[in-house]
Amino acid sequence: MYKIRIHGRGGQGAKKAAKMIGQAAFKMGKQVQDFALYGAERRGAPVMSFVRIGDTPILERGYVDDPDVVLVLDKTLLDLVNVADGLAENGLLLVNSEHELAVDTPATVKHVDATSIALDTIGKPIFNTTMLGALAKFTNIISIDALDWAIEEELFNYPKKMIEANKTAVKKCYEVAK
Amino acid sequence: MKQTLVTGNEAAAWGARLVQPNYIPTFPITPQTECIETLARWISDGELPGTYFDRMESEHSVMSAAVGAAAVGARVFTATSSQGLLLMHEVLYIAAGMRLPIVMATISRGLSAPVTLWSDHNDFLDQRDSGWLMFHAENNQEVLDLVLQAYRIAEDSRVLLPVMVNMDGYVLSFTDEPITIPSPEMVKEFLPKYTPKHTIAKDRPVTVGPPVLDEYTIFRAQNHVAARNALEVMEEVMDDFDRIFGRRYHLVDEFMLDDAELVLVTQGSMSTTAKAAIMEMRDEEGIKVGLLRLRVIRPWPAKAIAEALKNAKAVAVIDRNLAPGRGGIMFPEIVETLYNLDRRPLVSSFVVGLGGNPQTEHKVKEITRKLMDDLETGRPRVEWNDVDVNDMDVNDMEGL
Repeated sequence: MYKIRIHGRGGQGAKKAAKMIGQAAFKMGKQVQDFALYGAERRGAPVMSFVRIGDTPILERGYVDDPDVVLVLDKTLLDLVNVADGLAENGLLLVNSEHELAVDTPATVKHVDATSIALDTIGKPIFNTTMLGALAKFTNIISIDALDWAIEEELFNYPKKMIEANKTAVKKCYEVAK
Repeated sequence: MKQTLVTGNEAAAWGARLVQPNYIPTFPITPQTECIETLARWISDGELPGTYFDRMESEHSVMSAAVGAAAVGARVFTATSSQGLLLMHEVLYIAAGMRLPIVMATISRGLSAPVTLWSDHNDFLDQRDSGWLMFHAENNQEVLDLVLQAYRIAEDSRVLLPVMVNMDGYVLSFTDEPITIPSPEMVKEFLPKYTPKHTIAKDRPVTVGPPVLDEYTIFRAQNHVAARNALEVMEEVMDDFDRIFGRRYHLVDEFMLDDAELVLVTQGSMSTTAKAAIMEMRDEEGIKVGLLRLRVIRPWPAKAIAEALKNAKAVAVIDRNLAPGRGGIMFPEIVETLYNLDRRPLVSSFVVGLGGNPQTEHKVKEITRKLMDDLETGRPRVEWNDVDVNDMDVNDMEGL
Protein backbone atom coordinates (compact mmCIF):
# COMPACT_ATOMS: atom_id res chain seq x y z
CA MET A 1 0.00 0.00 0.00
CA TYR A 2 1.16 3.52 -0.84
CA LYS A 3 0.35 6.30 1.64
CA ILE A 4 0.34 10.04 1.16
CA ARG A 5 -0.10 12.78 3.74
CA ILE A 6 -0.77 16.38 2.75
CA HIS A 7 -0.10 19.32 5.06
CA GLY A 8 -1.67 22.68 4.33
CA ARG A 9 -3.54 25.51 5.91
CA GLY A 10 -7.33 25.72 5.96
CA GLY A 11 -8.48 27.15 2.62
CA GLN A 12 -5.41 26.04 0.63
CA GLY A 13 -7.14 22.96 -0.71
CA ALA A 14 -5.41 20.07 1.06
CA LYS A 15 -8.69 18.16 0.99
CA LYS A 16 -9.23 18.82 -2.72
CA ALA A 17 -5.66 17.74 -3.49
CA ALA A 18 -6.25 14.43 -1.67
CA LYS A 19 -9.49 13.91 -3.59
CA MET A 20 -7.72 14.57 -6.90
CA ILE A 21 -4.90 12.14 -6.13
CA GLY A 22 -7.57 9.62 -5.11
CA GLN A 23 -9.56 10.12 -8.31
CA ALA A 24 -6.42 9.89 -10.48
CA ALA A 25 -5.23 6.65 -8.84
CA PHE A 26 -8.79 5.24 -9.02
CA LYS A 27 -8.88 6.09 -12.74
CA MET A 28 -5.64 4.10 -13.07
CA GLY A 29 -7.41 1.03 -11.68
CA LYS A 30 -6.16 1.24 -8.11
CA GLN A 31 -8.05 0.74 -4.86
CA VAL A 32 -8.20 4.08 -3.12
CA GLN A 33 -9.16 5.76 0.12
CA ASP A 34 -8.84 9.50 0.73
CA PHE A 35 -10.01 11.77 3.49
CA ALA A 36 -9.26 14.97 5.34
CA LEU A 37 -8.67 15.43 9.04
CA TYR A 38 -11.32 17.71 10.42
CA GLY A 39 -11.40 19.27 13.82
CA ALA A 40 -11.06 22.97 14.36
CA GLU A 41 -10.52 23.48 10.63
CA ARG A 42 -10.71 27.11 9.62
CA ARG A 43 -8.91 29.41 7.22
CA GLY A 44 -5.21 29.57 8.00
CA ALA A 45 -5.08 26.79 10.61
CA PRO A 46 -2.80 23.80 9.96
CA VAL A 47 -4.81 20.95 8.37
CA MET A 48 -4.01 17.51 6.98
CA SER A 49 -5.46 15.17 4.40
CA PHE A 50 -4.56 11.63 3.47
CA VAL A 51 -4.62 9.16 0.57
CA ARG A 52 -4.09 5.41 0.62
CA ILE A 53 -3.56 3.61 -2.69
CA GLY A 54 -3.34 -0.15 -3.15
CA ASP A 55 -3.90 -3.06 -5.51
CA THR A 56 -6.31 -4.75 -3.10
CA PRO A 57 -9.16 -3.21 -1.04
CA ILE A 58 -7.81 -0.84 1.63
CA LEU A 59 -8.37 -2.23 5.12
CA GLU A 60 -6.54 0.45 7.07
CA ARG A 61 -8.52 3.43 8.36
CA GLY A 62 -7.84 6.69 10.11
CA TYR A 63 -4.80 8.98 10.00
CA VAL A 64 -1.74 8.06 8.03
CA ASP A 65 1.17 8.13 10.48
CA ASP A 66 3.69 6.29 8.28
CA PRO A 67 3.45 7.98 4.85
CA ASP A 68 5.55 7.20 1.77
CA VAL A 69 5.05 10.74 0.49
CA VAL A 70 4.39 14.00 2.30
CA LEU A 71 3.19 17.05 0.39
CA VAL A 72 3.53 20.43 2.08
CA LEU A 73 1.41 23.12 0.43
CA ASP A 74 2.72 25.94 2.61
CA LYS A 75 6.38 26.12 3.64
CA THR A 76 5.64 28.24 6.72
CA LEU A 77 4.19 25.06 8.24
CA LEU A 78 7.70 23.66 8.57
CA ASP A 79 8.19 25.83 11.66
CA LEU A 80 4.90 24.69 13.22
CA VAL A 81 4.36 21.05 12.36
CA ASN A 82 6.72 18.07 12.21
CA VAL A 83 5.75 17.37 8.61
CA ALA A 84 8.31 14.55 8.26
CA ASP A 85 6.86 12.64 11.24
CA GLY A 86 6.78 8.92 10.43
CA LEU A 87 7.88 9.48 6.82
CA ALA A 88 9.53 6.40 5.30
CA GLU A 89 13.32 6.61 4.99
CA ASN A 90 13.10 6.03 1.26
CA GLY A 91 10.11 8.35 1.10
CA LEU A 92 9.63 11.76 -0.46
CA LEU A 93 8.93 15.13 1.14
CA LEU A 94 7.72 17.62 -1.45
CA VAL A 95 7.39 21.25 -0.40
CA ASN A 96 5.83 24.18 -2.21
CA SER A 97 8.73 26.62 -2.04
CA GLU A 98 10.77 28.83 -4.34
CA HIS A 99 14.01 27.75 -2.67
CA GLU A 100 15.57 24.68 -1.13
CA LEU A 101 14.71 23.98 2.52
CA ALA A 102 16.52 22.16 5.29
CA VAL A 103 14.27 19.49 6.81
CA ASP A 104 15.45 16.96 9.37
CA THR A 105 14.55 13.70 7.65
CA PRO A 106 16.40 10.82 6.01
CA ALA A 107 13.83 10.95 3.20
CA THR A 108 14.40 12.74 -0.11
CA VAL A 109 13.40 16.40 0.10
CA LYS A 110 12.29 18.21 -3.05
CA HIS A 111 10.77 21.60 -3.64
CA VAL A 112 8.81 23.16 -6.44
CA ASP A 113 7.56 26.74 -6.75
CA ALA A 114 3.92 25.83 -7.30
CA THR A 115 2.67 29.25 -6.20
CA SER A 116 4.52 31.08 -9.01
CA ILE A 117 3.47 28.46 -11.58
CA ALA A 118 -0.15 28.83 -10.45
CA LEU A 119 0.00 32.63 -10.62
CA ASP A 120 1.51 32.45 -14.14
CA THR A 121 -0.95 29.90 -15.55
CA ILE A 122 -4.17 30.18 -13.54
CA GLY A 123 -3.71 33.77 -12.42
CA LYS A 124 -4.54 32.77 -8.86
CA PRO A 125 -2.45 31.04 -6.17
CA ILE A 126 -4.12 27.65 -6.68
CA PHE A 127 -1.04 25.64 -5.76
CA ASN A 128 -2.81 22.55 -4.43
CA THR A 129 -3.67 21.16 -7.88
CA THR A 130 -0.52 22.66 -9.41
CA MET A 131 1.76 20.70 -7.05
CA LEU A 132 0.28 17.41 -8.18
CA GLY A 133 2.27 17.81 -11.41
CA ALA A 134 5.46 17.44 -9.35
CA LEU A 135 3.98 14.44 -7.52
CA ALA A 136 3.37 12.79 -10.91
CA LYS A 137 6.96 13.56 -11.93
CA PHE A 138 8.65 12.16 -8.80
CA THR A 139 6.47 9.08 -8.27
CA ASN A 140 4.74 6.67 -10.61
CA ILE A 141 1.52 6.46 -8.62
CA ILE A 142 -0.41 8.94 -10.75
CA SER A 143 -0.03 9.99 -14.37
CA ILE A 144 -0.67 13.37 -15.97
CA ASP A 145 -3.51 11.85 -18.04
CA ALA A 146 -5.19 10.51 -14.91
CA LEU A 147 -4.75 13.91 -13.25
CA ASP A 148 -6.47 15.59 -16.21
CA TRP A 149 -9.43 13.33 -15.63
CA ALA A 150 -9.35 13.89 -11.86
CA ILE A 151 -9.36 17.66 -12.32
CA GLU A 152 -12.45 17.44 -14.55
CA GLU A 153 -14.13 15.15 -12.06
CA GLU A 154 -13.38 17.26 -8.98
CA LEU A 155 -13.88 20.71 -10.56
CA PHE A 156 -17.05 19.73 -12.45
CA ASN A 157 -18.94 22.76 -11.17
CA TYR A 158 -16.24 25.26 -12.22
CA PRO A 159 -16.08 27.10 -15.58
CA LYS A 160 -14.35 25.25 -18.42
CA LYS A 161 -11.63 27.93 -18.50
CA MET A 162 -10.75 27.27 -14.87
CA ILE A 163 -10.56 23.51 -15.44
CA GLU A 164 -8.23 23.97 -18.43
CA ALA A 165 -6.03 26.44 -16.51
CA ASN A 166 -5.64 23.91 -13.70
CA LYS A 167 -4.62 21.23 -16.20
CA THR A 168 -2.08 23.58 -17.75
CA ALA A 169 -0.64 24.43 -14.33
CA VAL A 170 -0.24 20.74 -13.49
CA LYS A 171 1.60 20.09 -16.77
CA LYS A 172 3.82 23.14 -16.29
CA CYS A 173 4.69 21.96 -12.77
CA TYR A 174 5.49 18.49 -14.14
CA GLU A 175 7.93 20.02 -16.66
CA VAL A 176 9.60 22.37 -14.19
CA ALA A 177 9.98 19.99 -11.22
CA LYS A 178 13.42 18.51 -10.74
CA MET B 1 -24.06 0.08 -12.54
CA LYS B 2 -20.96 2.19 -12.16
CA GLN B 3 -17.97 2.21 -9.81
CA THR B 4 -17.22 5.59 -8.35
CA LEU B 5 -15.37 7.21 -5.45
CA VAL B 6 -17.79 8.61 -2.90
CA THR B 7 -17.80 9.57 0.77
CA GLY B 8 -20.13 7.92 3.29
CA ASN B 9 -22.30 11.03 3.26
CA GLU B 10 -22.57 10.84 -0.52
CA ALA B 11 -23.29 7.10 -0.35
CA ALA B 12 -26.29 7.81 1.92
CA ALA B 13 -27.39 10.58 -0.44
CA TRP B 14 -27.11 8.15 -3.39
CA GLY B 15 -29.35 5.73 -1.51
CA ALA B 16 -31.96 8.46 -1.14
CA ARG B 17 -31.57 9.56 -4.77
CA LEU B 18 -32.16 6.03 -6.04
CA VAL B 19 -35.24 5.65 -3.83
CA GLN B 20 -36.64 9.05 -4.88
CA PRO B 21 -38.44 9.99 -1.65
CA ASN B 22 -41.31 12.49 -1.72
CA TYR B 23 -39.97 14.57 1.14
CA ILE B 24 -36.59 15.38 2.71
CA PRO B 25 -36.75 17.65 5.77
CA THR B 26 -33.25 18.68 6.90
CA PHE B 27 -31.12 20.56 9.38
CA PRO B 28 -27.32 20.69 9.00
CA ILE B 29 -24.86 19.39 11.58
CA THR B 30 -21.25 18.21 11.36
CA PRO B 31 -20.51 15.54 10.12
CA GLN B 32 -23.86 15.02 8.34
CA THR B 33 -24.07 18.31 6.38
CA GLU B 34 -22.38 17.01 3.22
CA CYS B 35 -25.16 14.42 2.87
CA ILE B 36 -28.00 16.93 2.75
CA GLU B 37 -25.92 19.42 0.72
CA THR B 38 -25.40 16.71 -1.89
CA LEU B 39 -29.15 16.03 -2.01
CA ALA B 40 -29.92 19.76 -2.18
CA ARG B 41 -27.57 20.13 -5.17
CA TRP B 42 -29.09 17.15 -6.98
CA ILE B 43 -32.59 18.45 -6.35
CA SER B 44 -31.68 21.86 -7.78
CA ASP B 45 -30.16 20.02 -10.78
CA GLY B 46 -33.49 18.22 -11.31
CA GLU B 47 -32.24 14.73 -10.37
CA LEU B 48 -35.09 14.11 -7.89
CA PRO B 49 -38.09 15.55 -9.70
CA GLY B 50 -40.71 14.33 -7.21
CA THR B 51 -38.88 15.34 -4.03
CA TYR B 52 -39.67 18.32 -1.84
CA PHE B 53 -36.63 19.48 0.17
CA ASP B 54 -37.12 21.46 3.38
CA ARG B 55 -34.61 23.27 5.55
CA MET B 56 -36.15 23.37 9.05
CA GLU B 57 -35.14 25.38 12.12
CA SER B 58 -34.03 22.40 14.26
CA GLU B 59 -33.77 18.62 14.26
CA HIS B 60 -36.85 18.42 16.49
CA SER B 61 -38.76 20.15 13.69
CA VAL B 62 -37.14 17.89 11.09
CA MET B 63 -38.45 14.74 12.71
CA SER B 64 -41.83 16.37 13.42
CA ALA B 65 -42.13 17.29 9.74
CA ALA B 66 -41.03 13.78 8.78
CA VAL B 67 -43.79 12.33 10.99
CA GLY B 68 -46.39 14.64 9.46
CA ALA B 69 -45.38 13.84 5.91
CA ALA B 70 -45.17 10.09 6.54
CA ALA B 71 -48.59 10.18 8.21
CA VAL B 72 -50.15 11.39 4.95
CA GLY B 73 -48.33 8.67 3.00
CA ALA B 74 -45.16 10.36 1.80
CA ARG B 75 -41.92 8.42 1.45
CA VAL B 76 -39.48 10.35 3.66
CA PHE B 77 -35.70 10.50 3.99
CA THR B 78 -33.58 12.54 6.37
CA ALA B 79 -30.17 12.48 8.05
CA THR B 80 -28.60 13.78 11.23
CA SER B 81 -25.79 13.37 13.76
CA SER B 82 -24.93 13.59 17.42
CA GLN B 83 -26.67 16.46 19.28
CA GLY B 84 -29.15 16.69 16.40
CA LEU B 85 -30.15 13.06 16.88
CA LEU B 86 -30.60 13.72 20.60
CA LEU B 87 -32.80 16.72 19.85
CA MET B 88 -34.99 14.41 17.71
CA HIS B 89 -35.21 11.84 20.47
CA GLU B 90 -38.72 12.72 21.69
CA VAL B 91 -40.17 12.58 18.18
CA LEU B 92 -38.39 9.32 17.31
CA TYR B 93 -40.70 7.48 19.72
CA ILE B 94 -43.69 9.14 18.04
CA ALA B 95 -42.51 8.06 14.58
CA ALA B 96 -42.15 4.47 15.77
CA GLY B 97 -45.39 4.49 17.80
CA MET B 98 -47.31 5.79 14.79
CA ARG B 99 -45.63 3.02 12.73
CA LEU B 100 -44.29 5.39 10.08
CA PRO B 101 -41.73 3.90 7.67
CA ILE B 102 -39.31 6.85 7.69
CA VAL B 103 -35.68 6.14 6.76
CA MET B 104 -32.89 8.19 8.33
CA ALA B 105 -29.13 8.08 7.89
CA THR B 106 -27.35 8.80 11.15
CA ILE B 107 -23.70 9.78 11.14
CA SER B 108 -22.22 8.94 14.53
CA ARG B 109 -20.38 11.62 16.45
CA GLY B 110 -19.54 11.71 20.16
CA LEU B 111 -21.79 13.73 22.47
CA SER B 112 -21.11 16.93 24.40
CA ALA B 113 -19.71 17.86 26.95
CA PRO B 114 -16.88 18.30 26.22
CA VAL B 115 -17.52 18.88 22.52
CA THR B 116 -16.04 16.41 20.06
CA LEU B 117 -16.62 16.34 16.33
CA TRP B 118 -15.31 12.80 15.96
CA SER B 119 -17.06 9.51 16.12
CA ASP B 120 -18.31 7.17 18.77
CA HIS B 121 -21.64 5.38 18.99
CA ASN B 122 -23.39 6.95 21.97
CA ASP B 123 -25.64 9.15 19.82
CA PHE B 124 -26.88 6.15 17.82
CA LEU B 125 -27.20 3.73 20.74
CA ASP B 126 -29.07 6.36 22.74
CA GLN B 127 -31.99 5.62 20.36
CA ARG B 128 -31.82 1.88 21.09
CA ASP B 129 -35.19 1.70 22.87
CA SER B 130 -37.05 4.18 20.64
CA GLY B 131 -38.80 1.51 18.56
CA TRP B 132 -36.78 2.27 15.40
CA LEU B 133 -35.03 -0.52 13.56
CA MET B 134 -31.29 0.07 13.59
CA PHE B 135 -28.59 -0.84 11.08
CA HIS B 136 -24.90 -0.04 11.49
CA ALA B 137 -22.73 -0.03 8.34
CA GLU B 138 -19.03 -0.88 8.11
CA ASN B 139 -18.18 0.87 4.84
CA ASN B 140 -19.61 3.23 2.24
CA GLN B 141 -20.97 0.48 -0.03
CA GLU B 142 -22.92 -0.90 2.89
CA VAL B 143 -24.29 2.57 3.71
CA LEU B 144 -25.89 2.82 0.27
CA ASP B 145 -27.06 -0.80 0.24
CA LEU B 146 -28.62 -0.57 3.70
CA VAL B 147 -30.53 2.61 2.80
CA LEU B 148 -32.12 0.69 -0.09
CA GLN B 149 -32.86 -2.32 2.13
CA ALA B 150 -34.20 -0.03 4.89
CA TYR B 151 -37.05 1.21 2.68
CA ARG B 152 -38.10 -2.33 1.71
CA ILE B 153 -38.10 -3.42 5.35
CA ALA B 154 -39.73 -0.26 6.76
CA GLU B 155 -42.56 -0.34 4.20
CA ASP B 156 -43.32 -4.07 4.55
CA SER B 157 -46.82 -4.42 6.04
CA ARG B 158 -45.54 -6.95 8.61
CA VAL B 159 -43.22 -4.23 9.94
CA LEU B 160 -44.20 -0.59 9.21
CA LEU B 161 -41.51 0.91 11.39
CA PRO B 162 -38.89 3.61 10.85
CA VAL B 163 -35.29 2.57 10.18
CA MET B 164 -31.96 4.20 11.03
CA VAL B 165 -28.85 3.45 9.00
CA ASN B 166 -25.76 4.44 10.95
CA MET B 167 -22.23 5.16 9.77
CA ASP B 168 -19.24 6.43 11.72
CA GLY B 169 -18.59 10.13 11.31
CA TYR B 170 -15.34 11.17 9.58
CA VAL B 171 -14.00 7.62 9.23
CA LEU B 172 -16.79 6.94 6.73
CA SER B 173 -18.75 10.17 6.32
CA PHE B 174 -15.76 12.14 4.96
CA THR B 175 -13.76 9.29 3.46
CA ASP B 176 -13.83 8.56 -0.26
CA GLU B 177 -14.05 4.86 -1.09
CA PRO B 178 -14.85 3.12 -4.37
CA ILE B 179 -18.42 1.82 -4.39
CA THR B 180 -20.82 0.42 -6.94
CA ILE B 181 -23.84 2.61 -7.55
CA PRO B 182 -26.72 0.47 -8.81
CA SER B 183 -28.83 1.47 -11.79
CA PRO B 184 -32.26 3.02 -11.13
CA GLU B 185 -33.81 0.08 -13.04
CA MET B 186 -32.37 -2.44 -10.57
CA VAL B 187 -33.59 -0.35 -7.65
CA LYS B 188 -37.04 -0.23 -9.24
CA GLU B 189 -37.07 -4.02 -9.41
CA PHE B 190 -35.92 -4.30 -5.78
CA LEU B 191 -38.12 -1.66 -4.19
CA PRO B 192 -41.79 -1.60 -5.24
CA LYS B 193 -43.77 1.61 -5.37
CA TYR B 194 -44.78 2.55 -1.83
CA THR B 195 -48.45 1.96 -1.03
CA PRO B 196 -49.19 3.50 2.37
CA LYS B 197 -51.43 1.44 4.62
CA HIS B 198 -52.76 3.47 7.54
CA THR B 199 -52.48 7.07 6.45
CA ILE B 200 -54.49 10.23 6.75
CA ALA B 201 -56.26 11.14 3.52
CA LYS B 202 -58.78 13.80 2.49
CA ASP B 203 -61.53 11.23 2.02
CA ARG B 204 -60.47 9.13 5.02
CA PRO B 205 -59.96 11.30 8.09
CA VAL B 206 -58.35 9.36 10.94
CA THR B 207 -56.70 10.26 14.21
CA VAL B 208 -53.15 9.04 14.67
CA GLY B 209 -51.27 8.96 17.95
CA PRO B 210 -54.17 10.10 20.19
CA PRO B 211 -54.38 9.69 24.00
CA VAL B 212 -55.50 6.15 24.89
CA LEU B 213 -56.29 4.25 28.08
CA ASP B 214 -56.05 0.46 28.30
CA GLU B 215 -55.10 0.22 24.64
CA TYR B 216 -51.65 1.65 25.34
CA THR B 217 -50.17 -1.77 26.11
CA ILE B 218 -51.58 -3.17 22.89
CA PHE B 219 -49.99 -0.45 20.78
CA ARG B 220 -46.65 -0.93 22.54
CA ALA B 221 -46.90 -4.70 22.05
CA GLN B 222 -47.63 -4.14 18.35
CA ASN B 223 -44.51 -2.01 18.07
CA HIS B 224 -42.53 -4.83 19.69
CA VAL B 225 -44.01 -7.62 17.57
CA ALA B 226 -43.58 -5.59 14.37
CA ALA B 227 -39.92 -5.09 15.29
CA ARG B 228 -39.51 -8.83 15.94
CA ASN B 229 -41.19 -9.53 12.59
CA ALA B 230 -38.53 -7.39 10.98
CA LEU B 231 -35.89 -10.11 11.54
CA GLU B 232 -37.63 -12.45 9.12
CA VAL B 233 -38.35 -9.60 6.71
CA MET B 234 -34.70 -8.50 6.81
CA GLU B 235 -33.55 -11.99 5.87
CA GLU B 236 -35.99 -12.09 2.93
CA VAL B 237 -34.95 -8.62 1.81
CA MET B 238 -31.24 -9.51 2.07
CA ASP B 239 -31.84 -12.62 -0.09
CA ASP B 240 -33.63 -10.53 -2.67
CA PHE B 241 -30.94 -7.87 -2.55
CA ASP B 242 -28.35 -10.53 -3.33
CA ARG B 243 -30.45 -11.83 -6.21
CA ILE B 244 -30.76 -8.41 -7.83
CA PHE B 245 -27.52 -6.64 -6.89
CA GLY B 246 -25.18 -9.59 -6.27
CA ARG B 247 -24.06 -8.43 -2.83
CA ARG B 248 -24.72 -10.79 0.10
CA TYR B 249 -25.77 -9.47 3.50
CA HIS B 250 -26.80 -11.29 6.69
CA LEU B 251 -28.23 -10.18 10.03
CA VAL B 252 -24.70 -10.39 11.46
CA ASP B 253 -21.38 -10.15 9.66
CA GLU B 254 -19.20 -13.19 10.36
CA PHE B 255 -15.47 -13.07 9.60
CA MET B 256 -13.19 -16.13 9.93
CA LEU B 257 -15.40 -17.71 12.59
CA ASP B 258 -15.34 -21.33 11.39
CA ASP B 259 -12.43 -22.43 13.60
CA ALA B 260 -12.18 -19.32 15.80
CA GLU B 261 -11.54 -19.89 19.49
CA LEU B 262 -11.29 -16.16 20.14
CA VAL B 263 -13.95 -13.81 18.76
CA LEU B 264 -13.99 -10.02 18.69
CA VAL B 265 -17.49 -8.51 18.64
CA THR B 266 -17.44 -5.10 16.93
CA GLN B 267 -19.63 -2.43 15.42
CA GLY B 268 -19.10 -0.06 12.49
CA SER B 269 -15.93 1.04 10.73
CA MET B 270 -13.45 -0.27 13.31
CA SER B 271 -14.37 -3.73 12.05
CA THR B 272 -12.36 -3.13 8.85
CA THR B 273 -9.09 -2.53 10.73
CA ALA B 274 -9.93 -5.41 13.08
CA LYS B 275 -10.33 -7.75 10.09
CA ALA B 276 -6.92 -6.69 8.76
CA ALA B 277 -5.37 -7.34 12.19
CA ILE B 278 -7.08 -10.75 12.38
CA MET B 279 -5.69 -11.82 9.01
CA GLU B 280 -2.20 -10.80 10.14
CA MET B 281 -2.46 -12.58 13.50
CA ARG B 282 -3.65 -15.74 11.75
CA ASP B 283 -0.92 -15.62 9.09
CA GLU B 284 1.98 -14.62 11.31
CA GLU B 285 1.13 -16.14 14.68
CA GLY B 286 -1.44 -18.83 13.91
CA ILE B 287 -3.90 -17.37 16.42
CA LYS B 288 -7.41 -18.73 15.84
CA VAL B 289 -9.27 -15.44 16.08
CA GLY B 290 -12.36 -14.26 14.22
CA LEU B 291 -14.83 -11.41 14.24
CA LEU B 292 -18.55 -10.95 14.62
CA ARG B 293 -19.82 -7.55 13.54
CA LEU B 294 -23.21 -6.36 14.74
CA ARG B 295 -24.95 -5.10 11.60
CA VAL B 296 -28.48 -5.13 13.02
CA ILE B 297 -28.82 -3.61 16.50
CA ARG B 298 -32.62 -3.48 16.58
CA PRO B 299 -34.36 -5.82 16.44
CA TRP B 300 -31.74 -7.81 18.32
CA PRO B 301 -30.77 -10.85 16.22
CA ALA B 302 -30.21 -13.06 19.28
CA LYS B 303 -30.38 -16.37 17.44
CA ALA B 304 -27.89 -15.35 14.77
CA ILE B 305 -25.48 -14.01 17.41
CA ALA B 306 -25.71 -17.12 19.60
CA GLU B 307 -25.23 -19.35 16.56
CA ALA B 308 -22.18 -17.39 15.44
CA LEU B 309 -20.56 -17.53 18.89
CA LYS B 310 -21.47 -21.11 19.79
CA ASN B 311 -17.96 -22.52 19.17
CA ALA B 312 -16.02 -19.61 20.67
CA LYS B 313 -14.00 -20.13 23.84
CA ALA B 314 -13.53 -16.44 24.64
CA VAL B 315 -15.29 -13.36 23.30
CA ALA B 316 -14.21 -9.70 23.54
CA VAL B 317 -17.08 -7.24 23.18
CA ILE B 318 -15.50 -4.04 21.87
CA ASP B 319 -17.77 -1.11 22.67
CA ARG B 320 -17.15 2.29 21.06
CA ASN B 321 -19.64 3.83 23.47
CA LEU B 322 -20.12 4.26 27.18
CA ALA B 323 -22.96 4.08 29.68
CA PRO B 324 -21.23 5.84 32.60
CA GLY B 325 -21.58 3.81 35.77
CA ARG B 326 -22.35 0.74 33.69
CA GLY B 327 -19.72 0.32 30.98
CA GLY B 328 -19.97 -0.69 27.33
CA ILE B 329 -23.57 -0.81 26.10
CA MET B 330 -23.38 -3.93 23.94
CA PHE B 331 -21.44 -6.01 26.49
CA PRO B 332 -24.46 -6.90 28.68
CA GLU B 333 -26.56 -7.52 25.55
CA ILE B 334 -24.07 -10.10 24.32
CA VAL B 335 -23.72 -11.69 27.76
CA GLU B 336 -27.52 -12.02 28.05
CA THR B 337 -27.71 -13.54 24.58
CA LEU B 338 -25.22 -16.26 25.56
CA TYR B 339 -26.30 -16.81 29.15
CA ASN B 340 -28.78 -19.63 28.59
CA LEU B 341 -26.70 -21.61 26.10
CA ASP B 342 -25.57 -25.07 27.20
CA ARG B 343 -21.95 -24.19 26.56
CA ARG B 344 -21.08 -20.53 26.78
CA PRO B 345 -17.80 -18.72 26.19
CA LEU B 346 -16.02 -16.43 28.59
CA VAL B 347 -16.91 -12.81 27.72
CA SER B 348 -14.63 -9.81 28.33
CA SER B 349 -15.52 -6.16 27.81
CA PHE B 350 -13.40 -3.42 26.26
CA VAL B 351 -14.43 0.22 25.94
CA VAL B 352 -12.47 1.85 23.11
CA GLY B 353 -12.37 4.69 20.61
CA LEU B 354 -14.48 7.32 22.36
CA GLY B 355 -14.55 10.68 20.58
CA GLY B 356 -12.69 9.32 17.56
CA ASN B 357 -9.74 7.83 19.45
CA PRO B 358 -8.19 5.87 16.55
CA GLN B 359 -8.80 2.13 16.54
CA THR B 360 -5.63 0.79 14.99
CA GLU B 361 -4.57 -2.74 14.10
CA HIS B 362 -2.09 -2.49 16.96
CA LYS B 363 -4.91 -1.93 19.48
CA VAL B 364 -6.93 -4.82 18.07
CA LYS B 365 -3.91 -7.08 18.53
CA GLU B 366 -3.50 -5.83 22.10
CA ILE B 367 -7.12 -6.71 22.89
CA THR B 368 -6.69 -10.14 21.31
CA ARG B 369 -3.61 -10.83 23.49
CA LYS B 370 -5.52 -9.79 26.61
CA LEU B 371 -8.35 -12.12 25.59
CA MET B 372 -5.83 -14.98 25.26
CA ASP B 373 -4.68 -14.22 28.81
CA ASP B 374 -8.29 -14.22 30.03
CA LEU B 375 -8.83 -17.62 28.45
CA GLU B 376 -5.77 -18.92 30.23
CA THR B 377 -6.69 -17.54 33.65
CA GLY B 378 -10.38 -18.30 33.15
CA ARG B 379 -11.27 -14.81 34.36
CA PRO B 380 -12.95 -12.35 32.00
CA ARG B 381 -12.08 -8.68 32.29
CA VAL B 382 -13.89 -5.35 32.02
CA GLU B 383 -11.41 -2.83 30.73
CA TRP B 384 -10.77 0.35 28.78
CA ASN B 385 -8.15 -0.01 26.12
CA ASP B 386 -7.24 3.65 25.62
CA VAL B 387 -6.93 4.78 29.23
CA ASP B 388 -6.45 3.30 32.71
CA VAL B 389 -9.64 3.87 34.72
CA ASN B 390 -8.44 2.07 37.82
CA ASP B 391 -6.17 4.88 38.89
CA MET B 392 -8.00 8.03 37.88
CA ASP B 393 -8.31 11.34 39.68
CA VAL B 394 -11.85 12.50 38.81
CA ASN B 395 -11.01 16.08 39.77
CA ASP B 396 -7.93 16.38 37.57
CA MET B 397 -9.04 19.00 35.03
CA GLU B 398 -5.89 18.76 32.91
CA GLY B 399 -7.24 15.74 31.05
CA LEU B 400 -4.99 13.09 29.58
